[in-house]
Formats: sequence, structure tokens, C-alpha cells
Amino acid sequence: MRADDVISCHVLVIGSGGAGARAAIEAQKYGDTVLISKSVVGKGGCTPMAEGGYNAVLRAGDSCVLHEEDTLRGGAYLNDPDLVQVLVRESPERFRELLEWGALFDISSDNFPAQRSFGGQRFPRTCYAGDRSGHEMMLTLLEHLRNSDVKILQEMAVLELLKEGDAVIGTVAMDARSGEMTVIRADCTVLATGGGTRMYDISTNSATGTGDGYALGYRAGATLIDMEMVQFHPTGAVYPYDVRGRLVTEAVRGEGGILLNAEDERFMARYDPQRMELSTRDVVARAIATEVEEGRGTSRKGVYLDVTHLPAKKIEERLPVMLEQFLKFGVDIRCEPMEVAPTAHHIMGGLQINPEGKTSLSGLCACGEVAGGVHGANRLGGNALAETQVFGKRAGESAGRAPSRQGRIDPLQLEAVENRVERFFSGTTPPWVVSRQLQKAMWENAGIFRTQIGLRDALKVTESLLDVPVCAVSSQNITECFTVRNMCLSASLVARSALLRPESRGAHVRSDVKQTWDAATSPYGHTWVSLASQGIMRQEVAG
Amino acid sequence: MRITARIYRFDPACDSEPHYDTCTVDVEEGARVLHLLHAAHERDPTLSYRYCCGTGQCGSCALRVDGTPVLACMEEARDGITIEPLNLPIKKDLVIDMQPALSRLAGILSQSEQRPPTREEVEAIKPLRECIECLACVSVCPAMEVAEFTGPTAMRQQMRLTLDPRDHADRITEAIRDGLFTCTTCQNCWKVCPKNIQIPGKAIEKLRALANRKGLTLPRHREVEQLIQETGRSIPRGKSTFLEQVPEVIEPDGEPRKTVGFFVGCMYDFRLPESALDAIEVLRRNGIRVIIPHEQVCCGSPLIRTGQLQFLDHLQRRNIQAFTSRGIDTVVTMCAGCGSTLKNDYRTPFVVKDITEILTELGIEKPARLPLRVAYHDPCHALRGQGLREPARILLKDVVEMIEVPQKCCGAGGGTRSGCPEVSSALGKKRAEELAKTGADVIVSCCPFCEYHIAGFADRPVKNITTILRQAYRRKDLGACPEQ
Repeated sequence: MRADDVISCHVLVIGSGGAGARAAIEAQKYGDTVLISKSVVGKGGCTPMAEGGYNAVLRAGDSCVLHEEDTLRGGAYLNDPDLVQVLVRESPERFRELLEWGALFDISSDNFPAQRSFGGQRFPRTCYAGDRSGHEMMLTLLEHLRNSDVKILQEMAVLELLKEGDAVIGTVAMDARSGEMTVIRADCTVLATGGGTRMYDISTNSATGTGDGYALGYRAGATLIDMEMVQFHPTGAVYPYDVRGRLVTEAVRGEGGILLNAEDERFMARYDPQRMELSTRDVVARAIATEVEEGRGTSRKGVYLDVTHLPAKKIEERLPVMLEQFLKFGVDIRCEPMEVAPTAHHIMGGLQINPEGKTSLSGLCACGEVAGGVHGANRLGGNALAETQVFGKRAGESAGRAPSRQGRIDPLQLEAVENRVERFFSGTTPPWVVSRQLQKAMWENAGIFRTQIGLRDALKVTESLLDVPVCAVSSQNITECFTVRNMCLSASLVARSALLRPESRGAHVRSDVKQTWDAATSPYGHTWVSLASQGIMRQEVAG
Repeated sequence: MRITARIYRFDPACDSEPHYDTCTVDVEEGARVLHLLHAAHERDPTLSYRYCCGTGQCGSCALRVDGTPVLACMEEARDGITIEPLNLPIKKDLVIDMQPALSRLAGILSQSEQRPPTREEVEAIKPLRECIECLACVSVCPAMEVAEFTGPTAMRQQMRLTLDPRDHADRITEAIRDGLFTCTTCQNCWKVCPKNIQIPGKAIEKLRALANRKGLTLPRHREVEQLIQETGRSIPRGKSTFLEQVPEVIEPDGEPRKTVGFFVGCMYDFRLPESALDAIEVLRRNGIRVIIPHEQVCCGSPLIRTGQLQFLDHLQRRNIQAFTSRGIDTVVTMCAGCGSTLKNDYRTPFVVKDITEILTELGIEKPARLPLRVAYHDPCHALRGQGLREPARILLKDVVEMIEVPQKCCGAGGGTRSGCPEVSSALGKKRAEELAKTGADVIVSCCPFCEYHIAGFADRPVKNITTILRQAYRRKDLGACPEQ
């Protein structure tokens, strides 16, 4: 690698979804900021795909305390309370900021941002733009970014974080097509790489949801918490086969959609008679999985999600993306029910952060889905988009305020990366063979219902797949090889963490464990994994 | 399910020109083009293609299937398709360089002194906001090929910002600088848009109307408006107009099968009356009774396309009145531009039909065959403006040898011919060359703007479809009476 391939900046933001874009906008107030994106900026990550909405306390009758309680209760009290408080307090401010920047959320008849009901919340506080809320946010952030001085590196994959002692001082990245490498030196780096449920066979995530950030952070020595907490969204599409897992937004239920099994029974009455379809996602996902498992599902192993009782006009206005997508696949949701089943959606765990977005490593901040602690054991719908803005801003600000540092690039670290690249050219197994095995193993053994035996199996598979000699045919396959390795590593962290938690809590269900406590009285806190150690925190249980 | 596809391959780094790989793969039922590409990529990992969300929301994977831009993740994979990149600069294989076009999209300039948009404003902007920046529109825009024009989605963005009370920049002046008046309103951008955003009508023409309010209409366009106000026609009159040559009612041969009103339009009335007379003759011969109100005026299309709307109501009222006062329930026009305007920009109490539509619907007397090879030019305002592709082909195929030419705008429309003649000419020249390349004896169309414009650049005759039909009837009559 040549010395002139080094870019130097004050803040480097990795990832261009809602959190990364927001972090970059904030960071550039303090100095030269580079945003590096694996996709075309604005097209990657999950933000542009997010349909439902953004939770913010805006109206009289709602309160931050109520939002906080809902979030903690929904998260099975595993959330980091400080992070939750920051989320609910600053979410309205960040929302208003988006409005100032040109966002076009739906407006109710009183010329106030419209809000809808979402699962697990006692107040309709989910702001939305039809069912393309995340797309709306992303466009707004892009319109803002275009007027900023942020330098954007498109379609480049970060291969490794570079360190000097214990501090992160930048990264080495690669152009996804040409295979050319670039070193970026930064005073502070913000990891905003999003989630990673592509490690599962059935997932809502985009092609970039491969868990790169968890793997990068882990290899650099950061501490990750609660990685076992994987949210299975209750309603993913089941047909066509190749599009299985595609998100069917919670807004469908928020707008009045009902769930029916193959026997035409509104089965949620047996699982959560109070909240019914608008129970929390973990509860609804388990209910659907149980119905299917016990033989009351459809032939495609799903259940029905029905909005045919709603006026066609309402469906057209509030759920246009759903309507369009299902029409493309031959279903008119105005007159036929959708078929849905759970799909891996969101990883609640991630790099441990403090309220400033700082990780356990000096020089490294994290925000958005790659960070852990905000959502505890189960995320409420509408809290993720809010999280991207609240913690994107905070991480960007922390990084911006970071002191400048010399940051001498260690040639040995670069050499190690180059050696990995070289080895891929003599590898023998194509990356997709590895990812397919990984996805099957994770779905079967680290899915909605888990046992120690299954999780050990999953861990064994993920760890053995990490050693498979993945092969690249040409330079453009190298980032694919790195990505599949990152998927395997992240998956192993999920399996390891899941084995550390001997209880059912939120999204993590150990069907082989009988427990006498509920979420509020659990003796357990966060699980953690890092290069140095792993474990589960114990906590005093109040009387 | 086993399917075969041809896939475009090109690596600018080492290939001198592109080639196609034929690839047979097994895919699941209901698979999309994207999944076909995944399978193809597993066979040949050097194949490059771009994708991300897989659900039609990010706009990464637009490409062409059998020539038409689609999203790979939403388009069903079919056997025998050809997969090519969008018609934009290629990075490798199916991956195009998106940055030049994306970098032309304006950001918002909001100031602290601002008010949030009202519900009505939000609803007005929404249709322009659904853009996923896939660049399908940019890849098919004819004006961008020959003019300094930032393109359809850049104009959409300017209109979106214009409608937003929070934005404080002068978007109209910017849009004009960026080529607002070079758009020919060919509608191609709208028809290929996966989100169905009506850019010509909802952005281009609206921006031009706002430009008009600021006094920024092009002088040549203002002249057209003045002419319409003074004469009721958008062009100066020729020697003898069509309306001067015809009575108000033309009785058909024999028992009338149908009575229709005839809307002639400025071009056929003032500049190409012979073609209109041919059309009347074809209608008459096929038992159609034609009523031609002589007080009819310009349909207003040149005003709508150029954003000059003050006088429009008057024209619309007068034209509608001309037909309703005679109790006419079906109005026929032979001008694709007028037809598109009457159908899309009017609320008429009568049905409007293009002449090719009414002739195919009623069925025509079989004409003789002509020993001609014909290149048919689809007018934008017939093909996309009215969704008319088949009728002209049905009429022509029995009469001549028809040569298919991929559709493309000739550059005559949208006020471009008067406002940006260099753009219009460049497109006209290209189109005439493409049509001539077929080796056809005659170029045929069904729009006076296309016919007149292409004729200015073509080295062979350009005729209206009814002229061809009339010629075929003449030949038939001659055949029946050889001594004549």
C-alpha cells in the first residue's frame, strides 16, 4: 500500500444510514469529516427501508415518563436506563430538527405531526410518513448532507479498524469493485454500520445488514452487550420464496390489521387479550411461531394478516408501499389477506456505549443499531428511527469534540490485512456457501425458541465457518469474503451471548429453562463479550 | 424453475466492447430478476450488479430488462429475457455510475425564519417525494442526450423544494439555468418510473408555470401565446386552411355507422391541411359521418407545456362548447398532441379518440396493399400520452411492410421546437437518421408535430398514416377500374 493512499480527517463516520448520516452532519461542525459507505449513500442500511415511524412525545396527554416506562417495560427492563432517558427526552427535539431540515411527515387535521399507535405503547406517539417513514428521514438527511462539507466515500467497505495502543485511530477500507485499499486516519471514529440479521435465513435486512460493525468492534477489542437479543419481527412476507422475510410493517397492525390463523381464529386473544395485535413484537412473534408449530398455520407456514375490513382509501393513503409491494407479488391487500411469519429484524445488543455514544475503546464511538443497551431485550417499534437521530447526533458531537491525535499507522496491522486479502485468493469455498450454512444454522438453533443444546450447535457451526478458507475469484469478491467472515463472527457473538443467559427475557427465549422470576425481578443484567472476557452481570433484586 | 437469460457484460478496464453471456440457472417460483442475478453470480463471481434493500425501496438495482428500465428486485424473472444496465455511464457489467446524476440533486436551504408546511402543502409535495433516486428516468431522457439539462429527477427535486415553505432558494431561476425548457415532455421519465411519479406534468410544466409568473417565460413561447390570443391558433396561417376547405358536416358513403366531431388542431388546419383532408376522406369512406365545428380553436397544449395558463380556460370552454352545442358524444382528432391534451388536460363531457383508435374500433374497409417499406414513428403523445401503440400497427400491417424502430422522441414537443430550437433540431436529426437507417421508403407517423419536424431532417418522405390509407384506397379503386 502506498503512503499517499492515506486520507486524514478529524472524524470518520462508518455507515450512511440514519445514524451515520446524522453523526456526520453533527461532527462536521467540529472539523473535517469523512463518511464512508458500503452502499451508495442513502441507499444502504435499514433506515430507507424503515416503514413504520418515529416515536416522539409531542402531544399533551403523552409524557417522557410514559415513553420511558413503555420502553423499559417493552425491553423487559434490560435497557440501560440512562440511555432510555436520553432517547425519550431528546427524540422530540431531533424530530423537530428533521422538520426544520425539510422532512415531510404526515400532518393531522390540526396541522400537527400525525401520530399512530404502535405495539407496546400506551399513547399513539409514532410519527410517520405513510409507510415510508425511514425513506422520508433518509431523504431529509441527504438533502442536508448535500449542502454540507462532509466528504463522502461511496461503495467502500471498511476491512479493519486500525489501532495505536488501545485507541482506534482510523481504518483500512477497500473499494468494493476495484479492490483498491485506502487508509483513513481519524482523531475519532464513529461506528454506525447498522445491524446484522442477514446472519439468519429469514431476515428483513438489506444486503448491508451483515453485522460488520459488531465484528469490527469486537476484533478491535470493544465490549459488546446483550448480543443474544435479536428481535424477530412478527410479520415478514412468506412468498415468493426469495423475498421471504421482507418486512410487513407494524403500521399494518397499527392501522387496524388483525391476525388470523388458518382456522380463521383471531388467536392473539389467547396470548395477550388486552393488547391483542398491538402487543410487543416478541410476544406477537412467539404467538405466530406457536400457531404455525402447532399446525394452525397456512400451507406456507404463516398466518394471515388482514386489512380487508379497512376502507380501501385508508390502505392507499397510509400503507402505499405495502399495497404496491404485495400487488407486485400478486396480492391485492384491499381484498385479500397477507400471509406473514416472523423474520429476523433487529439486534438490540451491540457495542456498549455511554450516553455520549462512547464505546469502551478510546477514539471509537458508536450509534444506531450497532450500539447496544437502548432497547434492552426487545425494541419497541418506532424507537429505532428515534435512536438513530438521538444517538447519531450525540456520537457525532462526542467525536467532534475529541482531541486531535497523531495516530501513527502501524504497518504491521496493514500487512495483516493485506495477508488476509491474499489468502482469499487461494481460498476454496465461495462466500455464499458459507453464508447459506450460517443462515440455516442460526435460524434453526439461535432463532425464536432456543435451547442450550441448539445454541451450542449454532456456536460450533459459526466458529467452524470462521475457519473455512473463503475464496475470491477477482478483486471484487474480496469485500464479499470479508463480509461473510464478519457475519460468522457476529453470529458467534450472538450464540455465545445466548449461552451466557440462562433465562427467558424479552426476545431471548430459552425453552429449556424453567424460571421463577419475571423480567422485573430477574437476577440478571447485561451479558457481555469482548476479546478479553465474557459473562453475565448479576443484579440485586429489590425485595 | 429453470430459466435462461442474456446478461450484458462489460469491463471498461479490459474490454474494448461489451458482450452478452447466456446463462441458464435454476430459481424458485416467483423469483425476481435480482434472484436470477444472484444465481448467475454464483456461477460467475466476476459478474457485477448493484442491489441493496431487495424490496423496491432503495433504488440501487435499476437496470433494463428487454430494453425497459425496471427494478431488478421487483421485476419477475422470465425465461429468455435480456438484462442490460441502464443507459448511463457504465462502471462494470450492470453497474452504472450513479454519482454524476445524484450529485445534481439540490439540497434544501432552510433558514431560521420559516414556517412548517401545512397539511395541504405536505400532500402536494408527497407525490414528488416518493422518488427512490434509481435514475431510471435519467437513463431514458432524450433532452439530456443533446442539451445541458440536469434531468427529470433533478427537476422533480426543484419542484419539491419550490413547494416547500422552508426552502429559501430561487429554484425557478436554478431550474431554468439547469435546462427546464429543454424537456420535450415526452413522458418517458414518468412511464419508466417505478414509483410512477408524473415528472412532466407535476414538475416540469409546474415549474414552467411558476417561471411564467415571474416573467421568465422564453420570448419565443410568449410569441406563441400572443398568436393564440390573437388568432386562436398557435402557428401563422398558410395559404389555405383546412377549415376553409371543408363544410361543417361531411356525409359518409352510404348509411352512417357513426357520427363523430372532428378536432383538427393548429398544425393540420394551418400547415398540413392536405393530411387532414386525407383523414376526412378515410373517415367518409368508412361510413363515419363527420361534424367539423368551424369555431374550434387551439387545444391549448402549447400553453400548458410552456406554463402559460392564463388564457387556457377560454380555449377549453370554447372548444368544449363547439362540440357539446352540436350534441356530439365522440370527438376524433388526428393530432397526437391534441388528443393527449383533450384526454388528459380537459374534463370533456364527450369521449375523445385518436383517429387510429376509432378506425380500428369500428373496423375499416380493407385497402389495397402498397409496395412500400414503412418505418413507423410512434409519437410520444400517442404512445405514452394516450397509451396507443397497437391501432396504428393494425392499420398499417395490412397495407405496407412495416419496420419496427425502437421508440424515441423526435424533439418536436413540449415547446422545445420554438423555445430551444438547437435542442429540438439535434433530436430531430438523430431521429431522422435512425428512421432512415431502416432503409424504409417512407416514414409514417400520426402526429403533425412529429411529421413536420422529422421531415425537416429526413432524406425521404414523411407521411401521415391516413395519407397512406387513402393512397391504398386509391390503388384499390384503380385496381377495380384499370382503365382509369
